[in-house]
Amino acid sequence: MSLFNTMAQMDTVTIGLWVTGLMMILVIIGVRVAFAAALTGFLGLVWIFSARMGFEKGVMVAIKMAGTIPHSKVSTLALSLIPTFILIGFLAYHAGLTRALFVAAKRWVGWLPGGMGVATVFSAAGFAAVSGASVATSAVFARIAVPEMLKLGYDKRFASGVVAASGTLASLIPPSAILVIYAIIVEQDVGALLMAGFLPGGVSALIYGGLVVFLAKTRKDFGPPVRGYSWKQRFESLPGAIPIFFVVGIIMVCIYGGVGTPTEAGSLGAFVILCMAIYKGMRLSELKDALMETAKLTVMIFTIIWGVLLYVRFLGFADLPSAFSDWITGLDQSPMVTLILILCAYAVLGMFMDAIGMLLLTLPVVYPAVIALNGGDSVLAADSAFGISGVGCSIWFGIIVVKMAELCLITPPIGLNCFVVAGVRPECTVQDVFRGVTPFFVADVLTIATLIAAPGIVLWLPGLMGFT
Amino acid sequence: MAGSHTVLEDDSLLSRADQLLFKLESVLTLLGGIVIFLLVFLATANVLGRWIFSMPVSGYIDWVEQAMAFFAFLGISYTKREGGHIRMDILVSHLHGRFLWFTELVLTLLILAVTLVLIYGSYLHFYRAYSIGDSSLDINLPTWPAKLVVPVALSVLALRLLLQIWGYFRAAIEGGDRPVAVPLIEDAAAVAAAEADSVMGSGSASREMEKS
Amino acid sequence: TEWNVSLWGKRRAFTENVEKLAELVEQKTNGEFKLKISYGGLSKSKENLDGIAIGAFEMAQFCSFYHKDKNPTITVTELPFAKDVSLARVAEIYKQVYEHPVVAKDLARWNATLLMPTPLPQYNIVSKTDPLKSLADFKGIRVRGPGGIMGVLSKLGAVKTGVPFSEVRQSMDSGVIDAATFAPHAHLATKTYKVGKWASTNLNLGSANCPVVVNTDALNSLSPENKAALLGSVDEAIDYYVKNYDENTTVQYEKAVTDQSLVRVTFTPEQTAELNKLAASVREDWIKKYSGKFDSKTLFEFTEALFAK
Ligand code: NA
Ligand code: NA
Repeated sequence: MSLFNTMAQMDTVTIGLWVTGLMMILVIIGVRVAFAAALTGFLGLVWIFSARMGFEKGVMVAIKMAGTIPHSKVSTLALSLIPTFILIGFLAYHAGLTRALFVAAKRWVGWLPGGMGVATVFSAAGFAAVSGASVATSAVFARIAVPEMLKLGYDKRFASGVVAASGTLASLIPPSAILVIYAIIVEQDVGALLMAGFLPGGVSALIYGGLVVFLAKTRKDFGPPVRGYSWKQRFESLPGAIPIFFVVGIIMVCIYGGVGTPTEAGSLGAFVILCMAIYKGMRLSELKDALMETAKLTVMIFTIIWGVLLYVRFLGFADLPSAFSDWITGLDQSPMVTLILILCAYAVLGMFMDAIGMLLLTLPVVYPAVIALNGGDSVLAADSAFGISGVGCSIWFGIIVVKMAELCLITPPIGLNCFVVAGVRPECTVQDVFRGVTPFFVADVLTIATLIAAPGIVLWLPGLMGFT
Repeated sequence: MAGSHTVLEDDSLLSRADQLLFKLESVLTLLGGIVIFLLVFLATANVLGRWIFSMPVSGYIDWVEQAMAFFAFLGISYTKREGGHIRMDILVSHLHGRFLWFTELVLTLLILAVTLVLIYGSYLHFYRAYSIGDSSLDINLPTWPAKLVVPVALSVLALRLLLQIWGYFRAAIEGGDRPVAVPLIEDAAAVAAAEADSVMGSGSASREMEKS
Repeated sequence: TEWNVSLWGKRRAFTENVEKLAELVEQKTNGEFKLKISYGGLSKSKENLDGIAIGAFEMAQFCSFYHKDKNPTITVTELPFAKDVSLARVAEIYKQVYEHPVVAKDLARWNATLLMPTPLPQYNIVSKTDPLKSLADFKGIRVRGPGGIMGVLSKLGAVKTGVPFSEVRQSMDSGVIDAATFAPHAHLATKTYKVGKWASTNLNLGSANCPVVVNTDALNSLSPENKAALLGSVDEAIDYYVKNYDENTTVQYEKAVTDQSLVRVTFTPEQTAELNKLAASVREDWIKKYSGKFDSKTLFEFTEALFAK
């Protein structure tokens, strides 16, 4: 009884911390993230409502409140982009776009030192323009690019590493499911974030490409460039890859230039690729497989979204986000140091967690704090801590944090992309892939530093659209 | 981690029940996939209609928002059966035999508890919309059908969880490494291989291999 | 006593009535009764009525057009009455409509009591088409707007086109829509005037009704002093809101329209008369549609008389 009283007497922020601790324990012992968050969110609501209105009424109110969330959170228009973004990737594969891209890239940039590696980076960047998920991109290129590199005598650690790393480009270059999720959580314009991802994705690809050339120049027996393609052969390789440019065009035109909203861009892209896949002879059974896999991945993502948002609703009642941002802004150090510490915390967390789960769980608390750190959501660039306006900061932080989450896909112990590549290629062990991917990890840190130092790379395109 | 896990089958009642439920789950998931497919056509029709005939699909946003619950929930039980919901398995993957199955039993009970709560809560949410009234913003579509999808899909999930609890319970008593009707934990590489297969579909993957 | 209040978005002109109410109540009760305002943390805007019915929070704001079937009676004030009314008068009209027994009964289904209006001026258009010369020019224009207004404009050939609020400016930029109808604060929020070429000044075909409601049980269980402090602060909060809206928001919007050199389109008395004629059938439709559910005719005539005054 006294325990019960003590619990009822606690202030909401303390309750928030206890429940958050419980959630972390459940996640660590292996409860599926969506349900761990939903369960603790519900228990938190019970706790808060019971403290306010007595146990019996409190439980009932908590059940009813929890029951509104799955439907409510899922029926958000912008989230309808996610299944179409996933579907595009499956269909693009069936349309033979991956191979066409790789062939074209090989003929155009294969002559560079470490040419096959460079070709892998740029064809993966191209595929990123029709793929919304980085793990899928790595899996596809592990099939296509690694065997050719091995045949030419490239080191298997490098070959598998470059594929694992290149896959991460898919999350910055639109379409990107994770950028949509970020936009929804922070209530920022989806189109602005998708546009913001273009240049950083390109910069990332260039840095990867430069790194490959550098490695090829400095290491002996790295693997030969592929020369000897005529200009005729180069131009012949382009038509197969044209649908990619078509989809990039649609998305650019839709979001930026004047045909439709981002919500429609994804569907139009999927429609074009579908026509292409049917033209290439996709069978009904393959379409069915693609739809099943799309549906499954969609459910997986939506379940974690509503599960975590149930927990976030509890946080709202517990008022934890504002308490956290008061604490962060009250810290006695420069805002930039705080930001870098936050990013380091993400790096550690990302070693163990999957990207979407990590962002969903942390952003509701971290995002308001970062915005407050910069000076609030309507601050002018001139008065802000990071030199960018409130809206600009939310876009900029989104790109950085997504790049950060992607970085975690290639770090041990749970770098999912590395596992996927090792899974597809029996000749490469997981250790091989992790060894091969290490230089790219360094390149990513460099990219993130660049984006922090030069926010213009992120904000230029959204700025042209009238944001920031 | 996400991905497909193997589920073993045999002639036992448990396994037959598992396979029967799996058929239902597969149909529901395909339905969700078809809704996504139709969404693509609806959006395309909306854009083309607007630009060519100046006739957008009336209530396009309302239709999309109503459709979302269908593809977000219909496959939830299928995904659970396949072990497809994300989790951190660095601890669980170190457990073996009876101790592993007992742990899974407890974890599944926790999920069942929150699922039952949500079935009741989401049913009440549906019932409010049904009995008092609720409609979409532009063209006043009733929202109760979409709200009803949630308790229905969660009820199928609850059935799946009961079967898995039965499966884990049996495995915890009998021991062994290969129980039926529950998703098996594989090492990370095997999970990744399964995931890569699912990305490409087994048929097309082999087709791709022939070309290379 | 502490009440949770569920609003959405950010603090803005639209929420100043609630912010002021919270300030006044806390003052009058010496901090004994607090309204703890949350922007979006407690519920999605479309589920605020559900939250009130559940009892998850004690006070909330919502807009009736979000879900007409949840609150059919108060959509009566969104009908096109083709009357130019001041913001202060809108507040008075809403308050009297809220006290009408048919309306009170409707909201009682949600265990809700209507406490305070959030009066909005009549909606006006910002459009990127060539400035309107005659009503016939509405033909083919894609407009985002609420049901009542679009019911009238559709009859002139305008195409009702729904886009999410957050995508309005971009949709206008890209041509998904040509025009949007809003109250000044929403034109300011979406920055439609940066894309538009003209703005209407006297459309007068209605505006949104976005009341502040309280959970009836919570209201009844307040101590007499707290209840008096709450109910006694409503008028002052509305006055503050109206003054702020008129003097800041509307002025700011007018300035933006001038700064962006938008053409101001003012409908002539003849045009207004024609719009009103078209509006009559929209009003008729409303009465017919709800006649089976509640005494829609009485409520309509009650409201019409208030607007006519
Ligand atoms: Na992408
Ligand atoms: Na990792």
